[in-house]
Amino acid sequence: MNEGGPNEGGAVDVRGVGKRYGEAVALDGVSLHVEPGEFMTLLGSSGSGKSTLLNVVAGFTRPSSGSVAVDGRDITKEPPYKRDLGMVFQHYALFPHMSVAENVAFPLRRRRVRGAELTRRVGEALDVVELGGLRDRRPAQLSGGQQQRVALARAIVFRPRVLLMDEPLGALDKRLREQLQLEIKRLHTELGITFVFVTHDQDEALTMSDRIALLRDGRIVQVGTPEDLYDRPASRYVAEFLGESNLLPGSDDPELFLVRPQHVRLSPPGAALPDGHHARDGKVAEVIYLGSGLRVEVELRSGGRLIARTGTRLDPVPKPGDDVVAHWSPQDRVTVPA
Amino acid sequence: MRPVRLALWALTALTALYLVLPVFIVIPMSFSDSAFLEFPPQGWSARWYENFFTDLAWLDSAIASLQIAVQVTVLSLVLGTAAALGMVRGRHPLRALISGLVMAPVLVPYVIVGLAVYAVFLEWGLTESVLGFVLVHTALAVPYVVITVSSALMSFDRRLEQAAMSLGAGPVATFARVTLPLIAPSLASGAVFAFVTSFDEVVTSVFLSGPDLTTLPVQMWSGVRVQIDPTVAAVSSMLLLVTLSLFAAAGLTRLVRRRKT
Repeated sequence: MNEGGPNEGGAVDVRGVGKRYGEAVALDGVSLHVEPGEFMTLLGSSGSGKSTLLNVVAGFTRPSSGSVAVDGRDITKEPPYKRDLGMVFQHYALFPHMSVAENVAFPLRRRRVRGAELTRRVGEALDVVELGGLRDRRPAQLSGGQQQRVALARAIVFRPRVLLMDEPLGALDKRLREQLQLEIKRLHTELGITFVFVTHDQDEALTMSDRIALLRDGRIVQVGTPEDLYDRPASRYVAEFLGESNLLPGSDDPELFLVRPQHVRLSPPGAALPDGHHARDGKVAEVIYLGSGLRVEVELRSGGRLIARTGTRLDPVPKPGDDVVAHWSPQDRVTVPA
Repeated sequence: MRPVRLALWALTALTALYLVLPVFIVIPMSFSDSAFLEFPPQGWSARWYENFFTDLAWLDSAIASLQIAVQVTVLSLVLGTAAALGMVRGRHPLRALISGLVMAPVLVPYVIVGLAVYAVFLEWGLTESVLGFVLVHTALAVPYVVITVSSALMSFDRRLEQAAMSLGAGPVATFARVTLPLIAPSLASGAVFAFVTSFDEVVTSVFLSGPDLTTLPVQMWSGVRVQIDPTVAAVSSMLLLVTLSLFAAAGLTRLVRRRKT
């Protein structure tokens, strides 16, 4: 992993990929370009087609139509073992009959790496994931987080240009998941290779990705940076999938306005509002203390509810039943096509 | 709690005795000095053991049985594993029919199998030949291998194979390095079943046996039917010893393996 600096990442091109299982359509003409060295996340709820798309790239699922290319080379018809792509599975898929070191050595042996070089590269890969001391353990003797790190080491030890990850943190608890998110992010920077990462967790997608492709019903609904998707959602679905959102009817009928809860401010009725702020009158319906702040639900007089996230030092602290004015700066208001 | 546990233990012990004790009667019988099978024996001797190792009819049948059982084990392991792979992994439209056919030999009464095979093998000149025995016993043993191996394959995590492939292993390397080692315990128990199926087989073997080739169980059967030869008791005792040692060895390895993890 040291020689020649970080690896070059590969470009992945998915063109018009469809996958049908009988009548059911799992992928409906998906096209996606992943830049070399990019961290691309395929985000979506279960059944959106994100895992199917990853399996098509990995070669485990044969697409009904379309093509997949890595660095311009069409690999649609190549079996998985000729694709040279690293893959990390949700449930680790470590070989239970081999030690940690043997697991990591597996892809190298398949590539006829032997002797001192084999030992050195296995050691390096285990050092990268900080598991050098556990090389002789069996997978069953490791924690879930350690197993996933071994799986990572095994997937990068043969220096693939693209690393595919299928919900790799899905089986871990929250604290461990957050820790490994940062480690995977660090690994991405260190290795410089392309990552394609599948998750249903929007926070994970926002934290880790260079770009996110949001899938729904076998189609990509929006591709962009986390900021693009969060701040400028292309549709109501995107706005509601990523984070909490307030969607208010606009002046033009099919149009909606999105205001994120952290941009909504609450003031007592009659208080002076900042210049140009949009305001709605309402009544506090519910207040939840979150530690880092308050989550206040306001029943609007015009109908519907609005969520505001505020600091805990509000004066006065809102209580259910209080009359309030919810207001926000026009800059924080985004038009969303319905 | 205490008396209940005690009662359960007693019940278990009684059941075990009931099932196993009759088997051990052959041991004292085998050391009898009488020319007939008798229990309890009047005097003691090892003459029937001596008879087994000096009488060519007994020795030859034992060797033939071993020879046949070993070949049957190898053949039915290969065939049974291949069949199990096809039945669990394959998508052939006639899969259900084929698996029914593979399992048929254990369901059809052995007498019928024996009779049918006898009629055909007479024609083909396969009676009283090792090949003939191996063919019939393999047909009877394959279903046991298929059952043990396909249950292992059904619970097998196929993502392990996907992982191996993503790491650069082709179908052959994936099977040899990942699938095979992980289903090996089931292959081993399938092998034991296959071996025992052949080594134990009397019904179909009676049809195929003759002066030129007789298996040990058939020899024992005629030993009782024709001569009431106490060598049968000696052979039974030795087989019992072999079986018990195998069980003990299997139990010990399991114990050692459990201690390790």
